[in-house]
Amino acid sequence: MKGIDKSFGGTHALDHVNFAVKPGRVMCLAGENGCGKSTLVKIISGVYTKDEGEVYFEDKLIEHITPADATKLGIQVIYQDLSIFPNLTVRENLAINSEILNNRRFVNRKRWDETAKEALSKIGYDIDLNAEMGTLSIADKQLVAICRALLFNAKLIIMDEPTTSLTKREVDALFKTIRQLKETGISIMFIGHKLEEIFEIGDDVCVMRNGKNVFLGTTEGLQRKDLIYYMTGREINDDFFVPENISEEPILEVEHLTLNNKYKDISFKLHKGEILGITGLLGSGRTELALSLFGVEHPTGGTIRMSGKEIKITSPTKAKALKIGYLPEDRRTEGLCMNQAIDDNIQLATLQEISNHGVLNQKTILKHAQKWVDKFSIKTDDPRKKAETLSGGNQQKIVLSKWLATNLEILVLNGPTVGVDIGAKQDIHHLVHELANDGLAVIMISDDLAEVVVNCSRVLVMKAGSIVGEMEGKEITEDNIRQIIM
Amino acid sequence: MTKSTAWQRLTRRTEFWIFLVLIVAIVSIYFVSNGQLAEPNHIVTILRAMIVDGLLGMACLIVIVAGGFDLSFPTVAACASCIATSICVSLGWSSTNPIAGIILSIIIGAILGMLNGLLIAHFHLNTMLVTLSSSTFFLGIALGILKLREISADLPNGLRQFGEWSLFEVSSSSGIKSSMSGIFIIYVLTAIIVAFVLRQTMFGRALYSIGGSEIAAERAGYNVEKIKFILYTVVGAMSGFAGIIRVCLAQQAIPKALLNREFVIIPAVILGGGSFFGGKGTVFGTVTAIALITLVTNSMLLIGVDSYWQKFFNGLVIIIGIMVSSLQAKRNKG
Repeated sequence: MKGIDKSFGGTHALDHVNFAVKPGRVMCLAGENGCGKSTLVKIISGVYTKDEGEVYFEDKLIEHITPADATKLGIQVIYQDLSIFPNLTVRENLAINSEILNNRRFVNRKRWDETAKEALSKIGYDIDLNAEMGTLSIADKQLVAICRALLFNAKLIIMDEPTTSLTKREVDALFKTIRQLKETGISIMFIGHKLEEIFEIGDDVCVMRNGKNVFLGTTEGLQRKDLIYYMTGREINDDFFVPENISEEPILEVEHLTLNNKYKDISFKLHKGEILGITGLLGSGRTELALSLFGVEHPTGGTIRMSGKEIKITSPTKAKALKIGYLPEDRRTEGLCMNQAIDDNIQLATLQEISNHGVLNQKTILKHAQKWVDKFSIKTDDPRKKAETLSGGNQQKIVLSKWLATNLEILVLNGPTVGVDIGAKQDIHHLVHELANDGLAVIMISDDLAEVVVNCSRVLVMKAGSIVGEMEGKEITEDNIRQIIM
Repeated sequence: MTKSTAWQRLTRRTEFWIFLVLIVAIVSIYFVSNGQLAEPNHIVTILRAMIVDGLLGMACLIVIVAGGFDLSFPTVAACASCIATSICVSLGWSSTNPIAGIILSIIIGAILGMLNGLLIAHFHLNTMLVTLSSSTFFLGIALGILKLREISADLPNGLRQFGEWSLFEVSSSSGIKSSMSGIFIIYVLTAIIVAFVLRQTMFGRALYSIGGSEIAAERAGYNVEKIKFILYTVVGAMSGFAGIIRVCLAQQAIPKALLNREFVIIPAVILGGGSFFGGKGTVFGTVTAIALITLVTNSMLLIGVDSYWQKFFNGLVIIIGIMVSSLQAKRNKG
């Protein structure tokens, strides 16, 4: 591709982008959210048309391309949502595209069966063809989508952030499949922003920033910190959290806390000014424990003491009254009212306080919210805009300010930077460091080990509902945690 | 990888359970009514009573499969059939055979359906809101502009005779005679055709695909706009057909006859395995659920329950239907 240019209205989404995917190699397209990655993919797959530039496929100039043309050429896109039909069987999901392409009018289940088996044989994958697609795991769904793509003699497969909701083991399996495809001469375009994955799977890498490509080359010899620099446009160092004033007395003491089938016999102490990490695999009970501290889940045994007094956290309302805040795993559905204004979101937990006997004034809300927008440098030109207009990192800052507006004593963060760009991730980390040093007690729950290492002054490792290890200071390393987490 | 057995797949289906419920209902009503349910005249009455709801149920089913909601189909049925009947009366059509009236009603239904289709497919409007407002609009046209009134004594002879079409006569032990309506054959044929289209044609599979994921359907290469337009036109035609069948069976054309019938039929389709979220539902399930509802409402008097309990029962069906649908959605998520 040479000099691809694309504008939407006034926004210059792609600014003369050049790049090439070589046969039988994995090309990683990296960049932060909104850098133009998706636009580029949509041009290749024919969903958008380019304004300028030339696209060559197998040395032939491609003038105009529609989604159907792309399929015929051998270009297949596996979207993030996988484009599957959850209500249909695996067999039908595999067969449907070729049936439509061949303009079939009537159903022939025998032909479906042949198509489906042929698709699965491409990567030697075995699955129950009668299973309903919606009941499969995400990893299985993805493999089905890959098999389907391979039916059309695909030469180039574009995968849009395929690892987003996979566990580590599933990612490994996916990478194995990718390598297998590579060996048959298929080129892969892998879109993502996780550094480890780019280095592990990529042969070549193209980094985009603000619609321009800023780096094009092989991953060999590329330094991790250079890649970060290309992606964010700034130097990012791991700024380790140095606790400045940890209180003598614990603010929270949890003893023998148990929730049937979820976790058992959990005991720990939390001090003001520290960031306590809780890490563990999916299903280790970490989320349930967090939710218990916020009154959503109700422990079946054990005690919780706050400043020495025994408390019962029976509901989120109670937790809020006790000055405990919770930043949920999924900010889009649990943390924000996406289609409401930024300022309304920030003041959501404090409406009672800033109202005049229950009557609200929009100007007062805006005035209070503006303070937080400034303090956290939330990037928006107007706090009256909807929350969904912001990037993930800025959205997370809103959820944080919502809680901080209530004068918290304890803040529970659950996966604080899931799906957030590297740059914004660092901003959030700095913010949390500052808050802790101002005397807030923070619990950070995360399965991103790098994040845990950088931010936490103490770490509890959970496995199958129990605490299996505790580390402090210099003992906290990714290797040490990995050894006991599995 | 463990393969699921045919039995496991069967018991996972809502259709299987609703069929069991129907059997249990038949058996228990039989015993509570001291065997009266098995009287031939009761059987033919109940079979006859499920025809119109069954035809409407299938129109409703194909919309629900495609992930849409149609609230206007009973109004379309009533309006199309009343307009068709009035035209027949004033032009003297269908005086000996019913064909003209039936085709007229189907065409008018299709035109009304097309209006829905245009708004939903072309302008991408919400199906429920479009059909909610169009049903009021259609009723307004029928009553206000066309000034349609009840037709019973003037009903064209062709339609009247068609409604009286009898396969055979049965009599109960007490000597009451009832006839088995031949229109039931048409109902069975329609069910077979709809089932064939849904299962064996790419158009039918397209409806399931769109109901499952509209974006994925588009990316797979379906012309979603065109398919939706055809869908709502077909639904209109099927409603027009159901409407004129009702006119023939009831021997009268009443514009408000089927008013609010959607609130019984939509839950029935859901109860029979349809899903509020689209992509699910079968003719077998719908036909079974309609049979169940018809059976119970028609057996109220038989087992000595006041007829106002019908409302209670209909409400119960709606609640159970919603619960089944959301339970299914939850199970499929996990």
